[in-house]
Amino acid sequence: MDPARLIPSPDTIPVHWGWFQALLTLTFILHILVMNTMLGSGILALVRELKTGSDPDPVSRDISKKLPYTIAFTVNLGVAPLLFVQVLYGQFIYTSSILMAVYWLAVIGLVIVAYYSAYLYDFKFDALGQARLIFIAVTVLILTVVALIFTNNMTLMLRPGSWGRYFTNPGGTLLNLSDPMLYPRYLHFITASVAVGGLVQALIWSLKYKSGAAHTRDHVTSGLNWFMGATCVQMVWGLWFLLSLPGSIRALFLGGSSLHTALLLLAVLGGILSLVLAARQREWQALWALLSTVTLMVFTRELLRSAFLGAWFTPANLTVTGEYSPMVLFLISLAAGLVLVVYMLRLAAAAGKEVAP
Amino acid sequence: MNYPVWELYTAGGGFLIALIAVVHVYVAHFAVGGGLFLVLTEHKAYRTDSAGMLAYVKQHTRFFMLVTMVFGGVTGVGIWFTIALLNPGATSTLIHTFVFGWATEWVCFTGEIVALFVYFYTFGKMKQGPHLQIGWLYFIFAWLSLFLVNGIIDFMLTPGQWLDTGSFWAGFFNPTMLPSLAFRTAIALMFAGVFGFITSMFIQEKDLRESMIRYCCLWVLIPFAAMLASGLWYFHALPQPVKTMILKRSPELMTYVKLFFTGSAVLFVGGILLALKSPLPMKKCLAFLVLAMGLVFMGGFEFLREGGRKPWVIYNHTYANAITKTDQDRINSDGFLASARWVSQREITPKNQLAAGKEIFLIQCTPCHSMGGPMKDILVRTQKFSVFGMDSMLDGLGKINDYMPPFMGTRKEREALASYIVSDLQMKPEEPAATARPQIGTASIPEFNPKTDQYVLLAWNNLGMHCISDSDPYWVLLPPANDLFAQLIRRGPLPELVTEAVSIRYQVEPGFETPSRHVDFWKNVKSNFGKDLEPDTGLSGSRLSGEMHMNKELKAFEANLIPVVPYPDNGTYNPYPLFSIEAIDTQSGKRLALTKTVAPTATEMGCKNCHGGEWRVNGQAGFTDATSRDVLLAHDKNSGTRLLEMAEKGQPRLCQSCHPDPVLGTKGTPGLLNFPAAIHGWHANYLTGRGTEACYKCHPSAPEGPTRCLRGVHADTLDCTSCHGFLEDHALSLLKQEDLDGKPGAKRLMAHLKPRKVPTIDAINPRTPWVNEPDCLTCHKDFTRPDPATADGFNTWTKGINGLYRMRHDDSEVMMCEACHGSPHAIYPAKNVLDPDRDSIQPLQYQGNRRAMGFQRCSVCHTVEMEDTLHHPMQEVILRENQPGA
Repeated sequence: MDPARLIPSPDTIPVHWGWFQALLTLTFILHILVMNTMLGSGILALVRELKTGSDPDPVSRDISKKLPYTIAFTVNLGVAPLLFVQVLYGQFIYTSSILMAVYWLAVIGLVIVAYYSAYLYDFKFDALGQARLIFIAVTVLILTVVALIFTNNMTLMLRPGSWGRYFTNPGGTLLNLSDPMLYPRYLHFITASVAVGGLVQALIWSLKYKSGAAHTRDHVTSGLNWFMGATCVQMVWGLWFLLSLPGSIRALFLGGSSLHTALLLLAVLGGILSLVLAARQREWQALWALLSTVTLMVFTRELLRSAFLGAWFTPANLTVTGEYSPMVLFLISLAAGLVLVVYMLRLAAAAGKEVAP
Repeated sequence: MNYPVWELYTAGGGFLIALIAVVHVYVAHFAVGGGLFLVLTEHKAYRTDSAGMLAYVKQHTRFFMLVTMVFGGVTGVGIWFTIALLNPGATSTLIHTFVFGWATEWVCFTGEIVALFVYFYTFGKMKQGPHLQIGWLYFIFAWLSLFLVNGIIDFMLTPGQWLDTGSFWAGFFNPTMLPSLAFRTAIALMFAGVFGFITSMFIQEKDLRESMIRYCCLWVLIPFAAMLASGLWYFHALPQPVKTMILKRSPELMTYVKLFFTGSAVLFVGGILLALKSPLPMKKCLAFLVLAMGLVFMGGFEFLREGGRKPWVIYNHTYANAITKTDQDRINSDGFLASARWVSQREITPKNQLAAGKEIFLIQCTPCHSMGGPMKDILVRTQKFSVFGMDSMLDGLGKINDYMPPFMGTRKEREALASYIVSDLQMKPEEPAATARPQIGTASIPEFNPKTDQYVLLAWNNLGMHCISDSDPYWVLLPPANDLFAQLIRRGPLPELVTEAVSIRYQVEPGFETPSRHVDFWKNVKSNFGKDLEPDTGLSGSRLSGEMHMNKELKAFEANLIPVVPYPDNGTYNPYPLFSIEAIDTQSGKRLALTKTVAPTATEMGCKNCHGGEWRVNGQAGFTDATSRDVLLAHDKNSGTRLLEMAEKGQPRLCQSCHPDPVLGTKGTPGLLNFPAAIHGWHANYLTGRGTEACYKCHPSAPEGPTRCLRGVHADTLDCTSCHGFLEDHALSLLKQEDLDGKPGAKRLMAHLKPRKVPTIDAINPRTPWVNEPDCLTCHKDFTRPDPATADGFNTWTKGINGLYRMRHDDSEVMMCEACHGSPHAIYPAKNVLDPDRDSIQPLQYQGNRRAMGFQRCSVCHTVEMEDTLHHPMQEVILRENQPGA
């Protein structure tokens, strides 16, 4: 089966593809940061629950309060890149989603359960006692499964060559397990979550320490340790990820293309820099290094996608209808929305209550 | 077709959408109305200085957040996932057309989340004014979400100018956008009250509880009035085809109409009842009932809205099975398998026919149909079909009943799909090509002595191909009613037609005397025909034996509506019962002449080929209840009648009691199509592009069938279409006359029919059935013999009833054409494959061959040699040519 024959015809787009690429990249960076915070915090809380038993742990308690927010915003900030990726790569992602439809649709039910479980962990933190371990475990376990489903879909969409399996299994239960890229890529994202979760813990407790709500920097240090440990492991997964790529694509990141190589190199350097800063207990500087690293990694991820799909398709070839006015509506709405969000957060801050991560 | 199809089996047919979408939409509307409820109730609490009420609002906010933000928010994404899995093509159109609409909606979604978190977590901690502001901001964000999603959803129903311009704005501000927005806003407010009932029930303080319940009643009842008004506005804004689809076309939608109105009524009445005093447990039950009925109401409405756009998912752009109008043209020119991306079979061979059929099935059928599931189960819907019936149903899809998309592809692809459904899904064995021939015995030829016999008795049935429908307990379209005619000639130099002092008697052959033992005609005759009849007595009083009466106009003896049926007492099927006809001198009582003739009466009416069921008698003919019932089911479904219910109450109907029919002389219901136009016009839409099989799948003329009624001389060289045209032509000629007569139903049946014998419908000559029929002289111009290769009798009709072959006389105005040439469809020399002599008894009796009377010699009647003929031109030539040794 010729994969080219299977790739659906794309639809037209209203404005130049670069707009969508920019929006996709920007919103994905936001999504991945919040997602990492959510999952990483959850993992940290779970580990602490396992260690501390029934004693209420302040870090876990703090995470329990924030977990529902982070789930809400992970979902919310996931919607935008999923929208824009469908605009640019709809013919690939719709197809891969159908091939693994059972798992893909299960994401909805799984997230609902994880979400409610997180709320129970929050609202009943004290009342549950040791049983709260179950709820944080359910949430974390489900979220790691959801991450695996996402990784499958995001890689399956890049592999039209494997789509022919549909003809022997049209029941929506295909995965992309034979793709050597799948496992390091999945571990890369999970480990990134642990790192970001650790850093976020460090930042939160750093703020608490500054405000006098915490008496020591112990939790800051612990968070930074998590960050450093995970980032070191990340280097291993990153290398594995790189090696798992098809030769021609890997070559692009190893000198074959200066853009690809430079971006990856910068991203790795950013990671190393954040490690150094974390080791020096400079959590806020480490944050900036992390943000730069994540941004560069997301760019690299986009380049990787283009490299995979380049043989079949490039968004530059999409037909543009040239209807710009709806985008103006969106940009105005976005600006107005952001102003109102800031306004509400300021009102909330004035009320002296935490309302957002 | 552009995308792979997820094979869902039982969970198909919209089940997933029903499961996810309806609950989400219910909660999503609550998320909007509930937002206003929160802020206004908080305001009321401040105004009335009610700490209890304020505490209630906070509790309700928590409930609201857990329901709308967690469940509502994630299931909203779930709908998106689901539609992208089930109809990626249409989803892609929605995404690409409205990407910035969706993106703006995402901004609102973000605003909602932030506002709700702030509202809940700062409750009682923020100052009243700012907190109320947050509440208002939540509502505004939520309502704007509704505003945006509503525009896009209604775009799918009424895309308006977008179809021409492709513009975002034209699609968004579509013709039903505003009324729908008003309607949904009203629903959202009602649901705020409905969910408010639930939380109010758990308020501990009785007075506050009752007061909040009454307050929630107002939230249900006041928007209820707005919902009704905007609902009417919405309905009136719908294009007429959508209204027709909802109210008339789609048989399933009535269920949702009922659900919608039942839900509405329960919401209204429940709202009032909850305001009245009653024990708390009862109120709690009622509140949960109202909550459940809210879901029913919402589901009813959403299914109606989605159903109204059938067969489209984006009206006039993308069909429900994701095939676009543009694709449709390509598929119909190139073939489906050649056009679709996600198929592995590109060309159909006998080997891969079922595999190819399965691929077509997956793409064209499963987007809407489940296999064995609760929604639109294909197994139930196709259970009755043979491959032919299934293929015909596919042919008719999207035509008269336009709630389904048409089948798209080649004829071969359609057959492959039909074969897959019948052979693989229904697991039906292949049908035998031929039916066993009935054993009807051999007709003995009465004697005739040309030297001594003074009389020639000619007798015939006036319809050579004659059916009866023994479906009487359910309906009837042709009763047992056979007309026999006879003419008696006194031989001589100038033969004389005998019309007086003679009694012509008829007697059916043994075994056929008691038809009431074999059919239910007499049990149902009162309901079907409005009269009581003694068993074995026909509608005009004729029995299976009796005396013919003189029809002076035709100059022939006649016995009409003899209730003969094709079932002899030995339990077999014999569509050609013989009648003995004898002429008796009334004065002397002496028998002057004796002959025999066939009264063809077939029950091989192939309704079962598409309507299911089996043959009732001997595997060869007759209606089983399954077939008869399904015919009524289909009629009721398609025409909104209740004929099955009536039949099951013992009130079957004659089809022609509503549909007028010249042959039965019924006037029917004014405005309805006459019966032949209706039945041929309807079924022609399902049987296009076919040859004579379109005829013989209903009429008893199948070449391998048990009756094989086309047995006259024309059977050798011509077929049904030679005189009647193809089914499309035949139907159009009837419908065109009905259309000219202003019958409203004609255009609908004509819309998808294309004539085949002539280039355009304009070229078709309209006709009245049983009056304007093919004229023998169209081909037999001046009584000559035409070239069978070019003979075509279609489109030139007899001018009136007197021009019909069965009514006409020779040039002497004495002898009827049928007397010498035999019955229509059994014109001499006729060959009945079941019994070779049976349809040529008189030629064999009087002249020793099967040809028309007087074929070789005039001496059958004339006792002297004749030089001229008075019967019709060319007769002398034919006689000369056919003299032995000529």
